[in-house]
Amino acid sequence: MLYRVIDRADVPSLVAAFMERYEVVAPVRRGEKYVFEAVSDFDEIALDYPTTIASPKKYFLPATETLFAFDARENAVTDYVDEVRPRVLFGVHACDINGIMNLNSVFNDPRYPDPYYRAHEDATLIVGVSCTPTDTCFCHLMDSEEARPGYDLFLNAIGDRYLVSIGSVTAANILESACDVREATDADRAAFRAATRARQRAFNPAIPDVQEIPMLMDAFHEDAFWDELGGRCLSCNACASVCPTCYCFDIRDTLDPGAETGRRERVWDACTSPQFAMVAGGHNFRATPAARVRHRMYHKLNGFLATHDRSLCVGCGRCAAACKVDISPIAVLEFFERKGADDGE
Amino acid sequence: MASNARGGAVAVHPYHQGGPALTGAELMAANPYRPWPARITSITELTATEKLFEFRFIDDAIRDAFCHAPGQFVELSLFGVGEAPISISSSPTKKGFIELCVRRAGRFTERLHRMQCGETVGIRGPFGRGFPLEAMRGHDVLLVAGGLGIAPLRSLINNIHDCRSEFGKVTIIYGSRNPQEVMFRHQFEMWRHRKDFDLYLTVDHADDTWDGEEGLVTKPFEHLEIDAANTFGALCGPPVMYRFVVQEMRKKGIPYDRIYMSFERHMKCGVGKCGHCQVGHQYCCIDGPVFNYWEAKNIQGSM
Ligand code: SF4
Ligand code: SF4
Repeated sequence: MLYRVIDRADVPSLVAAFMERYEVVAPVRRGEKYVFEAVSDFDEIALDYPTTIASPKKYFLPATETLFAFDARENAVTDYVDEVRPRVLFGVHACDINGIMNLNSVFNDPRYPDPYYRAHEDATLIVGVSCTPTDTCFCHLMDSEEARPGYDLFLNAIGDRYLVSIGSVTAANILESACDVREATDADRAAFRAATRARQRAFNPAIPDVQEIPMLMDAFHEDAFWDELGGRCLSCNACASVCPTCYCFDIRDTLDPGAETGRRERVWDACTSPQFAMVAGGHNFRATPAARVRHRMYHKLNGFLATHDRSLCVGCGRCAAACKVDISPIAVLEFFERKGADDGE
Repeated sequence: MASNARGGAVAVHPYHQGGPALTGAELMAANPYRPWPARITSITELTATEKLFEFRFIDDAIRDAFCHAPGQFVELSLFGVGEAPISISSSPTKKGFIELCVRRAGRFTERLHRMQCGETVGIRGPFGRGFPLEAMRGHDVLLVAGGLGIAPLRSLINNIHDCRSEFGKVTIIYGSRNPQEVMFRHQFEMWRHRKDFDLYLTVDHADDTWDGEEGLVTKPFEHLEIDAANTFGALCGPPVMYRFVVQEMRKKGIPYDRIYMSFERHMKCGVGKCGHCQVGHQYCCIDGPVFNYWEAKNIQGSM
């Protein structure tokens, strides 16, 4: 990957250059928390943020998206136009970039590419930024602490400078025009290495590093643990809505007033909702909260890996912060850790 | 990651009108969520709650391009009501139309049941992996259907019927709850007097109109003689049926990976995204709905 160095003081002009051609979405402080939002000035951006409440997935997969418009009297489609906005996601952490990569592999599956997702993706630039782990971060255990492909620029903080990895021509041109870009020195490289090591040391040691998670998900599939964990689920779907890699949706028709025309929409849905696996005639293949929570965890920690060779959970810790009853992959890792500590007796 | 910025309004169905002849794959490629207009050309009442609908795509190119495998399904649209996944009941050997067998069981199907010939619906598909017809050729086939499970199996049965000489012995077991619920009864009555198929119709509860067997769909297995090493099993029915029928097939000695079954799930998108039809690590809509028993055993929560 091509990389260069810029000064921290250059970042406002980089953002200003993006704003000339794009909507810029960035982390913004809201009370004690942070959210991704469109900004109009560099000063609104909180680039050293810990983590945002929700992931930036909505810019690829909006919470409600119109697939087409129809005429219900004629039973016919009338329009397929999707509005997309050229946009820069500025200040995305590595876990979220890996989350977007996971969504890419679902929605850009060459057998069934999703044109709506693709339209958003094509119109979006991603500028990543390095981070310091919070107490609930475990991206390093999910092989997601580093963004390899998947960004246009990645800003690695090294003191009063950034070591910038450059992933696309479009971004390279804007970077060059807006900033005083220079070659990295040995001191820059050493500072980058030191920053990476400091981040590695900063992860919460209480979150256990468990080997063979996929195998364990199968091996303990029938364990009573799932009733205990899932039994307390409130089916609120908070976990799925904040998660960067929960991409399930429902498809529904919404009629305009008068019921003559309408839109077919896809709206976020979650496998934690009670009716999610119900079929016509009323049979529910995952009728209990325990079965649903187990399925969500299975897909995050095993199922996706089996078909895409990557863990779907990227360890961002958002669901751990969002869930009122303490259900998250962290609880699953802790369970596996306890099992291991039992010595098999 | 964007290679360049473009924005504003983007048309998400860039192709088709006036384009070259389309294959099924090309139809899907452009916008898999796009339903194509189709007309109801025939409606047959099968039982008090089930009707067989025949549809024809209005666009010639789509009608010619549409091809499916037995076991695949389509998404049927009634605009303003929604969409439903329905397995195809007609054989791929019959071109130009598709048949869907629909039970009245909710808002969507109530509405469909009230529709008349000549009315228009939307159809997209076909989706999913069907029965392995090519692998089955040259072998014996044992088909077991329970209730509405006859709908997808009928596509396979009719396909085999249309190239009967390419298959060995073909046995059909079809179980219903009572004689009134037996679908395609005329067709089966007709076949009973022919040598093409060994046919066992069973009902859980018989009455005086019934001259078939009484008992569960597993009952005919008691006196069934099959050449297990040369037989493919295919089954479809309500969820409770699978375990028992598979057990019988295994007892007869049919190999794990030659017992094929179709899973019923609510496929909403049909293209491996929306998640509703996930079983374990698989999506019924693209990895299935037809799985063999070996695959099913390796899918958490499948049976
Ligand atoms: S499952 Fe939880 S920790 Fe994992 S990516 Fe989703 S929100 Fe983050
Ligand atoms: S796991 Fe927690 S956040 Fe998710 S639906 Fe259940 S209660 Fe809500």
